[in-house]
Amino acid sequence: MQREATIREPLILGHKTYKDITDDVVGPIMGPAPLGWKIMITISSLIAVYGVGCILYLLGTGIGTWGLNKTVDWAWDITNFVWWVGIGHAGTLISAVLLLFRQKWRMAINRSAEAMTIFAVIMAAIFPGIHMGRIWVSYWVLPLPNQFGSLWVNFNSPLLWDVFAISTYFSVSLVFWYIGLIPDFATIRDRMTKPLPKKIYSILAFGWSGRAKNWTRFEEVSLVLAGIATPLVFSVHSIVSMDFATSVIPGWHTTIFPPYFVSGAVFSGFAMVLTLLLIMRKAMNLENYIHVKHVEYMNIVIIVTGSIVGVAYLTELFISWYSGVEYESYAFINRFSGPYSWAYWMMMSCNVISPQLFWFKKIRRSLIATFALSIVVNIGMWFERYVIIVTSLHRDYLPSSWGEFHATNIDIGIFIGTIGIFLTLFLAYARFFPVLALNELKTILKSSGESYKNEQAK
Amino acid sequence: MANNKRYWTGLDDLHQTEAFRDFQSQEFPQHKSLDESLSNESLTTANTGRRDFLKFMGFSLAAATLAACETPVVKSIPYTNKPADVTPGVANHYASTFYNGYDYCNVFVKTREGRPIFINNNRKTGVGHANARVNSSVLGLYDSARLLGPRLNGTETTWESIDQYVAAGLKGSGRKVFLTNTILSPSFQRTIQRFCEANGAEHVMVDAISHGALRLAAKKHSGKNVFPSYEFKEATMVASVGADFLGTWGDSAYYEDEWVKTRLPELENMSRLHVFESVMSLTGTNSDHRTMVKPSEQGKVLVAMHELLSQGTQKQFSTGPLAAAIEKAVSDLKKAGRKSLVVSGVNDVEAQLLVADMNRLLGAEGTTVEYRSNQLFQGDDRAFNTLVKDMNEGKVGALLMFDVNPAYNALDKEAFRKGLSNVNTTVYMGGFADETGSRCEALAPTPHWLESWNDLSIDGERVDLVQPTIQPLFKTRPAGESLMAWSQFESDWYTEIRRTFKSDYTSDQMYSDVQWSSCLHDGYYMAKGTKASPVVNPARDRKALQQAKETLLAVKSDSQFELDLYVKMCIGAGEQAGNPMLQETPDPVTKVTWDNYVTMARTDMEAMGLNTYIAQRDKASVVKVTANGKSIELPAFMQPGQAPGTVGIALGYGRGDGGEAIGRAAFQTEENGEYVMTDEGLPMPIGGNVYGFAQMVNDVPRYAAYNVSIEPTGEEYPLAATQIHNTVMDRGSVVKETTLSAFKRESDKPKGLASWNRNHTLTVHEDVNGDGVIDASDDKKTSAFDMWKSHPVEGVGHRWGMTVDLSTCTGCSACVTACHIENNVPVVGKDEVRRHRDMHWLRIDRYYASDWSQEKGEEEGVGVIASYTKMEDPSANPQTVHMPMMCQHCNHAPCETVCPVAATTHSNEGLNQMTYNRCIGTRYCANNCPYKVRRFNWFNYQGYSKFQHSNPAQDSLTRMVLNPDVTVRARGVIEKCSMCIQMIQSSKLEAKKQGVPLTDDMVSCACSDACPTNAISFGDLNDEKSVVSKRSKNNRSYHALEEIGVQPNIFYMTKVRNVDESQA
Amino acid sequence: MSKIFHVMYDDDAKVMTAAGKLVGQGIRVKDVYSPFPIHGIDPVIGIKRTRLAICSFMYAMTGTSLALLGMWYFMIQDWPMNIGGKPSFSLLENVMAFIPVTFEFSVLCGAHGMAITYLLRNGTLPGMPASNPDPRTTDDKFVVEITTDNNSMSADELEAAIRATDLLELSIKDA
Repeated sequence: MQREATIREPLILGHKTYKDITDDVVGPIMGPAPLGWKIMITISSLIAVYGVGCILYLLGTGIGTWGLNKTVDWAWDITNFVWWVGIGHAGTLISAVLLLFRQKWRMAINRSAEAMTIFAVIMAAIFPGIHMGRIWVSYWVLPLPNQFGSLWVNFNSPLLWDVFAISTYFSVSLVFWYIGLIPDFATIRDRMTKPLPKKIYSILAFGWSGRAKNWTRFEEVSLVLAGIATPLVFSVHSIVSMDFATSVIPGWHTTIFPPYFVSGAVFSGFAMVLTLLLIMRKAMNLENYIHVKHVEYMNIVIIVTGSIVGVAYLTELFISWYSGVEYESYAFINRFSGPYSWAYWMMMSCNVISPQLFWFKKIRRSLIATFALSIVVNIGMWFERYVIIVTSLHRDYLPSSWGEFHATNIDIGIFIGTIGIFLTLFLAYARFFPVLALNELKTILKSSGESYKNEQAK
Repeated sequence: MANNKRYWTGLDDLHQTEAFRDFQSQEFPQHKSLDESLSNESLTTANTGRRDFLKFMGFSLAAATLAACETPVVKSIPYTNKPADVTPGVANHYASTFYNGYDYCNVFVKTREGRPIFINNNRKTGVGHANARVNSSVLGLYDSARLLGPRLNGTETTWESIDQYVAAGLKGSGRKVFLTNTILSPSFQRTIQRFCEANGAEHVMVDAISHGALRLAAKKHSGKNVFPSYEFKEATMVASVGADFLGTWGDSAYYEDEWVKTRLPELENMSRLHVFESVMSLTGTNSDHRTMVKPSEQGKVLVAMHELLSQGTQKQFSTGPLAAAIEKAVSDLKKAGRKSLVVSGVNDVEAQLLVADMNRLLGAEGTTVEYRSNQLFQGDDRAFNTLVKDMNEGKVGALLMFDVNPAYNALDKEAFRKGLSNVNTTVYMGGFADETGSRCEALAPTPHWLESWNDLSIDGERVDLVQPTIQPLFKTRPAGESLMAWSQFESDWYTEIRRTFKSDYTSDQMYSDVQWSSCLHDGYYMAKGTKASPVVNPARDRKALQQAKETLLAVKSDSQFELDLYVKMCIGAGEQAGNPMLQETPDPVTKVTWDNYVTMARTDMEAMGLNTYIAQRDKASVVKVTANGKSIELPAFMQPGQAPGTVGIALGYGRGDGGEAIGRAAFQTEENGEYVMTDEGLPMPIGGNVYGFAQMVNDVPRYAAYNVSIEPTGEEYPLAATQIHNTVMDRGSVVKETTLSAFKRESDKPKGLASWNRNHTLTVHEDVNGDGVIDASDDKKTSAFDMWKSHPVEGVGHRWGMTVDLSTCTGCSACVTACHIENNVPVVGKDEVRRHRDMHWLRIDRYYASDWSQEKGEEEGVGVIASYTKMEDPSANPQTVHMPMMCQHCNHAPCETVCPVAATTHSNEGLNQMTYNRCIGTRYCANNCPYKVRRFNWFNYQGYSKFQHSNPAQDSLTRMVLNPDVTVRARGVIEKCSMCIQMIQSSKLEAKKQGVPLTDDMVSCACSDACPTNAISFGDLNDEKSVVSKRSKNNRSYHALEEIGVQPNIFYMTKVRNVDESQA
Repeated sequence: MSKIFHVMYDDDAKVMTAAGKLVGQGIRVKDVYSPFPIHGIDPVIGIKRTRLAICSFMYAMTGTSLALLGMWYFMIQDWPMNIGGKPSFSLLENVMAFIPVTFEFSVLCGAHGMAITYLLRNGTLPGMPASNPDPRTTDDKFVVEITTDNNSMSADELEAAIRATDLLELSIKDA
């Protein structure tokens, strides 16, 4: 049994036993659905339905129902795609990278963070699909043997790399998440009394029995998956950024995009995790497991990544001027002084300035401030993608084809809709899934539980 | 067809026929045998031949139909007997002539399976070139709004009853008048004369847009009532006062390419053009020196020029830029002497008198201008006015009209409409029940020019022939035939035309006259008889000139604004308002589509607080223009080069104000594609009719108003422009231009070294120039920086390429319409254009010069950002560049790399190919195209209700104009310029059949074919002898955006302006 | 007649000490059921290190070679095209463009291959019945399973040894 320095703040507050942990998590699942939950899921599913409606209209009528045009051929669609993928990254990062670094504080949040990843990636995957002019032939992006003879895909295209990256990322995160879930489903299974749920959970639990041998394999697999997922998560957003970096459009053609996008992704991901967990810990009174210390840790990650992003923004500006390429320099001057400068300054203030407030311990440890800022950061990160895509495209090489982009109701409807779907899924998860990694928390109870720490202190 | 072939071999083997011998010598027997099978009588004896032949017919026709429409046609009926000259899948071309009373030029009509689908220039035997208005007129043939048959009082009827009605009417009392536009057909002239004699009728001609002053002036000046014949190709110095001779004035279809012949900087004296005008016209954008003058001053400018020429001094304009400009122009003219030319668009006898005299003083008569026998623009506005007066006084008993629309374009259309109702017998001969037609009792529909025979002659010597390329679609009758019927003359129209050619023609010579056939093949013949002799240097009538000057100087304008009524390149006089192609083709100058507007100077607009920036959501402010007691509300458009204190409004709009059936595209549509409705519940016409704003001034209409008031209405109105940004933002590698003197200084420098067309190079850290030191002078061309071993293009097979000479491109947009008709490019309507969703494969970028530049900014210590903002504003009177922009077919195409499904790839002939069937529509390629030439099918344009009134493919008849060689793209795929791959392929086949190497003269693109000035040329860059390879090596040629290294196959050639540095 | 002893403890520390004690007496512990991994128990009860990591590596390598082979076939062998002038002549010239997909595909194979192997080896698959002796072992109790079959001692001796540890409950079943 490993010990931990007593000066370290405990990660599990209150006098908890193994049983308490189980009860705190499984209790709500077995109890009746609270009213607040019912209200929330109703609202979010209504929004989801509206979004689906917009999607159907889009598919029925044509991409022209969006505000795109001959100059700006991507806008909200790809913006939303990158935004959602970015959000997804936090989950993998928390569960994989922090696992490799043996960060125990991850254990309280990784389950929900991973859930968020899965749902966010699903939302992200919607957009490359529906932004196609002919979604009914979208399967052509796979190198399938086909009736057209030797008709293969183009492996030079970053968009195709995306296809592989996103699908790999999604399926691997899903597996990682589920393997972690299995023992906890077993816990629920063994406590569940109602027959039907018991049946369902026992199916979900894959007949887990918690033998010592299983646990060894379990830990090995978690470790290896974490080792694989870590480079994966970096590669995914690097590849997403290559959609832009490998192009010839000023403002896209930038070599710093991969690191810049990855840190941006982590940045927005942690913000979204905070947004969700701060609500969840209240709603499901998990204050003892997810408390100020966790929030503070995440806020520190946000400061770091936020600052990296900020440096990237400034580097872009500098290089565009230093390159001496008139198109490059104009592209960036146009960003902060052109017709879409409002979006640029939105991005700057939300992503670079606001996170710096976390340097103050007070703010860093204040849940209200954190909640507010986490939302600000997510808005900012959406605008970052919007700025990169729209302002670069709307004025590129030939002034004759300079244009404008204006979003239509369908653009907005679909984006709001995906948020609705996302929340619906997450609420369903919060209701029926073990929101904390029980088996992992129990391993650290003795080393980082408040009561045990106090005993050691004596 | 194998058994068939064997059969012949046997039979001909037996007889050793001629056919068999050269069949043996054929490289491709299949084809040979097919052609024979189609014409060989012995086939009738063949028991298997016909079946095979039918099979073939069925298949090929099915194939053609499949190719022509987006959904497969289930039924397709093969010919039972093949027409002698129609081979399915093979296009036929017929020489013909376009004339609608306004434009005149010789053309080739391309037909497929008997359908005329394209109007091409006749470069072999033709005169003049088809402009946008002409080559778009093919859509008019298939306009479902056309009259289906004769009508009497609004009901369908027979020709007999029409004839009875007319006969009765002609017996009645009162004037009997036959009102037409200018008639150039000798046969028709004869017929009309006969008709008038037979019925005691009189013939009155009126032009949609009057050039009457030129004739009256020519009469006074030379004693001959002719239209002056201008020979721009002879002139090295041209001064134009308000004459848009490149686009819309006079015989512009002839002038344009004639003028451009003098514009090559390589010539030892490239011509120079001075323009004095109020509205920025196409000619103005192509001028070397352009001066803004108010309409009321144009006369004074002519006086001043005349005085400078005759007395050497002028006192109209004391000093200032205008005076300088005039002096400069005149001194240039003097220098050029007899090789100079003055023209003026001022439709005013006095003004034209001065113009004529100036040309005389310059000694230009005989070289650049002639008064001989030019029959253009015979419209007699005085006669027309008396006619209207008589109509209103009930003095007119019968009014027969042909191809005129006074109820729309008469200066006082209300008077005409009222008068028309006083006339007992009103007959209208034309294609549509338009404003005039719908007000007549009898409608005698005439065939479209593509359906009819005709002969036309401008000078009385060369007679151009019009031949039908398709059977009349509807129950129509040539006007000539109607007239014959109404003058009890037993003949038919075709015979008359043959008689004009050969007076003793009888029907048995119909096919036997070889001479006729060859003339028909060439599209013209030279009439026998004596040539009219030109009048040169007639005696000058000094008194008349003095009077003229006084009247011109007497012109007063005391109001803040003046109005100039101009004509637009695409809409012209408005005959083709219902033509979606012309409506959607952006105006070469403003780039606005589908609309009419008031052009104003920035200063004036800012003073009135009107919106100067018009874009997707930035609407134009509506202003109320009042002049001569009439007023109209139109959106105001900021036009650089518009003389301050003047506004311009285009004629030719406001068609169908009574909701007449003149074509579906003639009316405004809502965002959902439905018509905008007026309060009377009629579809709202596009723009406003401003013919009424013109005034009769001694018997000719003056298309200007001197006392105009303008007030903002506070309303806003969306305008749809394909280009919302005006300047090139100082981007040197997009447009390269220089002055003639600068060009001459380095004209012998090899490509890429002259200061006005320097290669884009990058400095490298190696001693390139071998001067022992590595410094900034060690640089390499961008093409030297390749990251990979690329596919070889030089000298491997064909490599299709194009060169576009910016010096000779006038921006006339003939290529735009030609490209779109050839390639079935969808018309998407105003709302989509406003959303920057025009589908144009070929567009013409128009850039205005700006007063500002980064250098200037540095000198004046203005920040970079501020400078960029300033650079967005064009100068008040800018120089202009027209830059045709289409897919550059880059050898290192960025669009190809990014397509996930390899839907766009590079052909081994250097083409950037788009595989529509494979495209899944990610639009990544369009984003990654530096030239933004890729177009996405945002909707199902062929079916979606939003496009019901704009898209030709949504009309079952108009759909027939689609080119069967080009697929109609489905919703959700990207499309773009294919360099007319279908034309390349067919010429490759042709060469293969003839067994000759493919040479320049065999290949072409729609745009290069249509270009009146040969600015665009197309060919094989790997063929040393081809024009393109020569031009691409010329030291003026460059790649747009060379530095991004995409290595296009399209070369642009530096624009050279013949400006005088001292004045530029 | 063989017996199965299910010894229940209420704390992982107790399990450790007890297991140590029993193994010290030469008793073979068959298995331990616990709600979470008890670190350090494996060597005590003699569980060998798992080789899943190696499988994963092998799966990943398969992915790598499959991806490269596939792309070489699609882009160079079967239907080479001129895409943006880029080479399609040899794998070596094109390989830069293939790296991202190669990596992703390797990860895909590595991760899923291992996951599937893991589930199969554990015998944990959808709908499988649970085999833990007591439902509480997934909550906060720990069960050590000892059988007479793989022990030389007699049932009574074993029971005595087990009773000597700090246990919570003991259930003895006939196998």
